[in-house]
Amino acid sequence: MTPAAWVTLLLPAAGALVITGLGTAISRRVAAWIATLACLGSFAAAVVSFVDMLGRAPDNRAELSTAWTWFSAGSFNVGFSILVDQLAVFMMLIVSGVGSLIVLYSIGYMDGDDEERRYFAYMSIFVFSMLLLVEGGNFLFLLIGWGMVGLSSYLLIGFHHERPSAVAAAKKAFVMNAVGDAAMALALFLLIQKTGSLEYGVVFGRAGDQTPLVLNLVALGLLAGAVAKSAQLPLHTWLPDAMEGPTPVSALIHAATMVTAGVYLIVRTHPLFELAPHVQDIAAGLGAATLLMAGLIALVQTDIKRVIAYSTMSQIGYMFLGAGIGAYASAMFHLMTHAFFKALLFLGAGIVIHALSGEQDIRRMGGLRHLMPKTYLAMLVGALALTGIPPFSGFFSKDAILAGAMDDGAYGYVLWVVGLAGAFLTGLYTFRMIFVVFGGEPSAAVREHPPHEEHDPLVKWTMAVPVGVLTVLAAIGGGLQFAGVWTSVSNFLDPVAEPLVEASGTQEAITSVVAVLLGAVGIGVAWWIYSARRAPAPKPVVALERKLWFDEAYDLLFYWPAAVTASAFNGLERGAVQGSITAVVDGVRALALRVRSIQTGLVRTYAFAIAASLAVLVLVFVSVR
Amino acid sequence: MSGPDVPAYLVIAAVLFATGATGVLIRRSPLIVLLSLEIMLNGANLALIAFSRRLGDGSGQIFALAVMAVAASEVVVGLGLIVAMARRKLDLDVDKLSTLRG
Repeated sequence: MTPAAWVTLLLPAAGALVITGLGTAISRRVAAWIATLACLGSFAAAVVSFVDMLGRAPDNRAELSTAWTWFSAGSFNVGFSILVDQLAVFMMLIVSGVGSLIVLYSIGYMDGDDEERRYFAYMSIFVFSMLLLVEGGNFLFLLIGWGMVGLSSYLLIGFHHERPSAVAAAKKAFVMNAVGDAAMALALFLLIQKTGSLEYGVVFGRAGDQTPLVLNLVALGLLAGAVAKSAQLPLHTWLPDAMEGPTPVSALIHAATMVTAGVYLIVRTHPLFELAPHVQDIAAGLGAATLLMAGLIALVQTDIKRVIAYSTMSQIGYMFLGAGIGAYASAMFHLMTHAFFKALLFLGAGIVIHALSGEQDIRRMGGLRHLMPKTYLAMLVGALALTGIPPFSGFFSKDAILAGAMDDGAYGYVLWVVGLAGAFLTGLYTFRMIFVVFGGEPSAAVREHPPHEEHDPLVKWTMAVPVGVLTVLAAIGGGLQFAGVWTSVSNFLDPVAEPLVEASGTQEAITSVVAVLLGAVGIGVAWWIYSARRAPAPKPVVALERKLWFDEAYDLLFYWPAAVTASAFNGLERGAVQGSITAVVDGVRALALRVRSIQTGLVRTYAFAIAASLAVLVLVFVSVR
Repeated sequence: MSGPDVPAYLVIAAVLFATGATGVLIRRSPLIVLLSLEIMLNGANLALIAFSRRLGDGSGQIFALAVMAVAASEVVVGLGLIVAMARRKLDLDVDKLSTLRG
C-alpha cells in the first residue's frame, strides 16, 4: 500500500524534473505528454493503494511510512514520512485523477503557446505539491506541501508574465496565502512547544491535556491557514483575480488542488478542532457567510470564469460549513463531486473561450447552444450538478451537509437557512450564465468567430476526452452515497473522522426537498429573466459589482497605513539622516573656502612661511632657555 | 689637533645657511633656487661636522654623508624638472608655477 503511495507522490515531481532537465532537448508535445503520463501514472498508483486498502479491515487501514529522518533536535524529530489512510487515499484519488484529466486537457488547450514546457513543468509541480500536502505524514510535511501549493499557484497564475494584471494577481494570491501560512506556522510552533511533536498521532493524543487557550490558538491558526488557502472570508480576495491564469490552471486550482486543501486540513486535524468547539463554530460560520456572499457576487459578474470562480468560493463555503459542524464525510464527499463538476465547468468554459478567440465576457456571448451542442450538454450537466438537481452529483453531497446542519442545534438551523438561501442563489447565478452564454440568438461577437464544434480543430480529442469523462462523473459520481440509503463514502471515511452530527431520515428528506425546490426556483427565475426575458434584468447592485469593497477595504486598512508610514519615514530619513550628513558636508566646504586663500601656489611663499616659522621657533627656544 | 675652534665653523655654517635661505626666498629662477638650496644643505653639513668633531662622536659625519646623498638625488630630480620646463618652453620663473593656488 505505501510503496504505491510513494509512487503516487513522486511521479509528478519526477515528471517536472525530467521536463526541466531536458529543457529544449525535447519538443513541447513530448513535455506535455511527460507531464500527463506522470500524473496518470500517479493516479494509477493511487488506485493500487486504494484497492490494497479495501482488502484490509477498516480499522487497519492507516499506515505511516517514513523514508528517513528529516531533522532531529534533542527529543524532537520529524521524519520524511507519508501517512496513507482512508482520508489520504480519498484525496490522492481526486487530486491525481482530476489533475491528470486537466493536464491532458491542457495539451490541446495550450497548443501553440510559447512556453508550453514551463507550463507543464509547473502543472506537475502543482500536482506534486498537493499530493505532498494530503499524503504528508506529519504537520511539517503538511506545511511544506501547503507552502509549495502556494508557490505553484503563484507560478501558474502569473504564467502570462508579460501581462501586468497576471503578475499582480499572482502576487496577490501569494501574499494572501502567506498570511495563512504564517498563522499556520505559528500554530505549529505552539504545538511543538506544548506537545513536543508534529506527528499527527502524538499531537492528537496529547492535545487533551492542553489548556483551552492553547487549543483555541492552535485551532485558530490552522483555521486561518485553511481560510486563506480555500479562499473563504475574509482572505478570499485572491481567488477571483487568480482567473488571470490559463483556464486549465483555474480548473486545477478550483477542482483538484489548492482550494480544497482547507477542507482537508480541518478534517485531518479534526481532533484539535473538536477540542476548540468555538473555533469550529467560527469555521462553519465563515463557510456560511462565504457561500452567501460569493453567491450574491456571482450574480453580477460578467466574466464567465469569474462567475465559476465565485461559485467555487460558495461551494467551498458549504464544505467549510460541513467540516465546521462535524459532518466530515459529507464535506469530503462534496469536495469530490465538486471536483468533478467544477473541473467540468471550467474546462467547458475553456472550450467556449477558445472557440471565441479568447472572449470571456458573457454579455458578448450568446446562442452557442446550436453551434456547440456537445459543449452545451457538458456545461448543462455541470450546472445541474452544481445546482444540486437530482440525479446529478451535487444533489447527493450538498444536501447531506445541510441535513447535518439541522442536527446541530439552534446555530445549525441558522446555517441550514443560509445554506438553503445559497442553494437558491446557486441555481440563479449558474443558469444565468448558461442562458446568457448558450441561449438566445448568436451575438455579434459569436457571429464574427462562428465556432464549428464538429470539424473544429480547436477542440482536439485531448480536450474532448477529459470533458467527456468529467461529464459522466459529474452526472453519476454522486451515486456513491445516498444519505440514509447507502453510505459507501461515509463508511470509508468515518474510521478516520467520526462525524459529530447524524441527520435523521426526516431531516434528510426535508432538506433535500426544500433544497431542490429552491434550486429549481433559482433556475426558474434565471429562465424568466435571462432566457424568456419576461422581466427586465435588474440593474446590478454596485456593492456586488465592487465585490462588497473588500479590495478597497484592504487597501484602506493595510495598504494606506503602510504607504503613509513609509512616506513619513521617508521624509524623516531625508530630513534627519540625509540632512545631517549634507549639513556636515556644507560646513566643511564653507570652512575650506576660507582656508583655501592660504594656498597661494607660490613656492616662495611656502618657503618663507617655513623660514619665518623656523626663525620664530629658534627665537622662542633661545629666549625660553 | 689644530685649526680654528668650533664656533668659527658654526659662524660660517650660519652664514652659508642664511645666504642659501635668502637665495631661496628672493630669487625667481628655479636654477638659482636649487643652487641656494644646496648652499643651505652644505651649511647644515658644516654644522653637523663641526659638532661631530667637538663631541668626538662620528655619527655627525655619517649624517653629513647621508645629507650629501639626499642632496645629490634632489639635484637630479630638481634639474630634471628644470630641463622638462625648458623643453616645454615654459618661463624659468617659480612665481609663474602657481597652478596649485587654492
